[in-house]
Amino acid sequence: MVVLEVKKLTKEFPGVIALKDVDFQLMKGEIHAVVGENGAGKSTLVKIISGVYPPTSGKIFINGKEMHFKSTREAFKYVGVVYQERELVPYFTGLQNLFLGYEIKMGFFLKERDMRFKAEQVMKKYGLSVDLDRLVSEMGSAEKTILTILKILFRNPAIMIFDEPTSSLSIKEARILLDLIKNLKKKGVSILYISHNIQEVLSIADRITVLRNGENVATLEREYATEQKIIKCMINKELREQYPKIPRKIGDELFRVENYSNDIYDFKNISFYIRKGEIVGFAGLVGSGRTELAKSIYTAVHPYRGKIFLDGKKLALRRTSDPIKNGIVMIPENRREEGLFLDFSVEKNLTLPHIHSLKKLFLISNTLSRFKALRVIKALNIKASNVYQQVKTLSGGNQQKVVIGKWLEKYAKLWIFDETTQGVDVESKTEIYIIMQRLANDGCGIWFISSDIRELTAIADRIYVMRNKEIVAEFSPPYDYEEILLKMLGGGKN
Amino acid sequence: MRSSISSNIIKYGTIIALFLIFLTFSIIIPGFANKTNLLNILKQIALLTIISEGFTMCLIVGELDLSFANVASLSSVVVAGLILKGVNPAFSILLALCVGAIFGIVNGLLITKVGILSLITTLATGIIAGGMVYFYTKGVSFYGEMPQSFLNLARGSFLGIPSLVIFMFIIVIFAHIFINRTVPGRHMEATGGNRLAARLSGINTDLYKILGMTFSSLGAALTGILLTARLGSANPEGASGFLMDGFATALLGMTVLTVGKPSPIGTFVGALLIGILNNGMTLLGSPYYVQDITKGVIIILAVTITSFQAKRLEGG
Repeated sequence: MVVLEVKKLTKEFPGVIALKDVDFQLMKGEIHAVVGENGAGKSTLVKIISGVYPPTSGKIFINGKEMHFKSTREAFKYVGVVYQERELVPYFTGLQNLFLGYEIKMGFFLKERDMRFKAEQVMKKYGLSVDLDRLVSEMGSAEKTILTILKILFRNPAIMIFDEPTSSLSIKEARILLDLIKNLKKKGVSILYISHNIQEVLSIADRITVLRNGENVATLEREYATEQKIIKCMINKELREQYPKIPRKIGDELFRVENYSNDIYDFKNISFYIRKGEIVGFAGLVGSGRTELAKSIYTAVHPYRGKIFLDGKKLALRRTSDPIKNGIVMIPENRREEGLFLDFSVEKNLTLPHIHSLKKLFLISNTLSRFKALRVIKALNIKASNVYQQVKTLSGGNQQKVVIGKWLEKYAKLWIFDETTQGVDVESKTEIYIIMQRLANDGCGIWFISSDIRELTAIADRIYVMRNKEIVAEFSPPYDYEEILLKMLGGGKN
Repeated sequence: MRSSISSNIIKYGTIIALFLIFLTFSIIIPGFANKTNLLNILKQIALLTIISEGFTMCLIVGELDLSFANVASLSSVVVAGLILKGVNPAFSILLALCVGAIFGIVNGLLITKVGILSLITTLATGIIAGGMVYFYTKGVSFYGEMPQSFLNLARGSFLGIPSLVIFMFIIVIFAHIFINRTVPGRHMEATGGNRLAARLSGINTDLYKILGMTFSSLGAALTGILLTARLGSANPEGASGFLMDGFATALLGMTVLTVGKPSPIGTFVGALLIGILNNGMTLLGSPYYVQDITKGVIIILAVTITSFQAKRLEGG
């Protein structure tokens, strides 16, 4: 029996088509995985099914009935979504959170005993357990996930969606969660499982749908799916095309960190170096300290111990602006929160670090500023209708190029790219790789943090692996994909 | 994106409203649109505009200021007190401006270095400023003979234009150019636009927050001084009415052109709208409470339009 059917679903955003004529079906009691790269359209699909935004065209049927969700509230009755960030009130107990918004009451008074009884019933039915009297702030992440799932099960939705549920969990916690999901399936729950982790998907799903550039390229039965097959579907182009290589010369040492220790971030004696023209990858799990290391140096968090050299000169980083003055720039991980001024125009975003040089006497020259912006727009192929367009109306890939573009012509020597290709369409990704290599070719050093090992092994000249705030390994090509993964996870012990 | 007509109505909504209200008053009130009355309206909104432009600066760096009205009262009594004691007017003005600057700097330091919310900080410092007013005046108004040169700051005119109006235009134009065309102005805007991104772009956001708060208090101090010059006296509650009207003006200003963003020109349009309403309704003989109700309704309408626009953009 078909629980959810999506027909010819299309979603356009200004400048991008996020989904194009997507068809697919979810059967009763099935775990159906949707895989695809970042920017393939997975999260857009979830957001449309759960009523966050309406589709541009196409139809959604649940239990054979056509649905037109006008809000998430309306979709709640049919669709339960477990998001990455769990929406729980930290100062409430498990029970208070479970019934938040759906309290059992008599007049104005809460009927706590009835709620507790019902909670226990539902927990028994699905074989889940959680301490109802514990504060959420004291719960571990596995317990919080169970609570979130329970909260959704109360509403008895037709389908349940898990949107990258394991991405912030440890490996052990992830395993518990996957078992839990399999268990839910046995109880007859229909599950849509969104992930980019192929191994995980193969271990859990009955069927696998692959999205690429917003299109459904294949729906595979579990028996016939292999990792190679899925990867082939996910990236249509040959690997070489997606990761174009620009031949370049690696020169002398540009940047060296010696025994860097910082108590605020808990770093001890970290040493590494980056050469001119070199792209150095930093691999590791979420929480391994890659972003923190880059940020603590880039924002001059101090006191720190150890030495930092750039171009042979020892740096004393005291103020936030010191690294930039010395020629270090960073493209931060969360572009919307840390990289962009969303309400500002493309021009204002691009010229911000340069306005001192765009002055005539005391005033910023509009002409110089516009020329500067146009030059960067052209150099990076940013798709904007004009320089006055607000950046929040650009697509993810173009927003990212704006964040990169604002540092162009600043004569930076060291560029830190932090997960720059995340949430960016495939085409822009390739463009970003080319930009990085061009910068390296000009003699810059590139410090490239990424969770995508495939992209790291394709682009980086050397890879450091971080785990628990330490550099645990260094790799040179040809890379041993599995060995890197093993080092990230901790030598396979966990 | 859906329809440019509706987005244009939202973009120019406040200006269209201003124009329609002006047109209506011009038709139904004889003599409303003549030169004398128009200059009169500008004169009436001059002080409100100056104090609101200061407040706009603190909105631009992403903070609030509840202290500006009391700071204006304080500088008003300080300048009056000093002048009546025979202190040189220029020196008195300088001291009163310093009082304002100190409040602004203290506000800014408390917000950035100590980390108290601006709403709470300025509520407290505003109460302190109010207390200082009564400490200094003991609750009585300051009357007396003031030098004509000082009084002329607010009562004089140049080429037929009242000096208050000239002051107002200087401040509006200065604020507009400062924000849009200078480096500190751009950095202030960036600080309010996204503090984190500004910091990661190497901007000293604390400095610009302090600067924004200081401009707010300086605008208030200047308003207080001009108020004393206009009245030829100072009373402890002299500027307290500016708090509500200043907020209203700046909020209306945020609905002008770049919706949801504070701007010096927007604030001026907001002040103009309130000034025209006040003037027209007074000429029509409507009681003050009807004027207050009308103002409130108009603010709600304007802000409703803003939040609609914001929602639409977020929905993609």
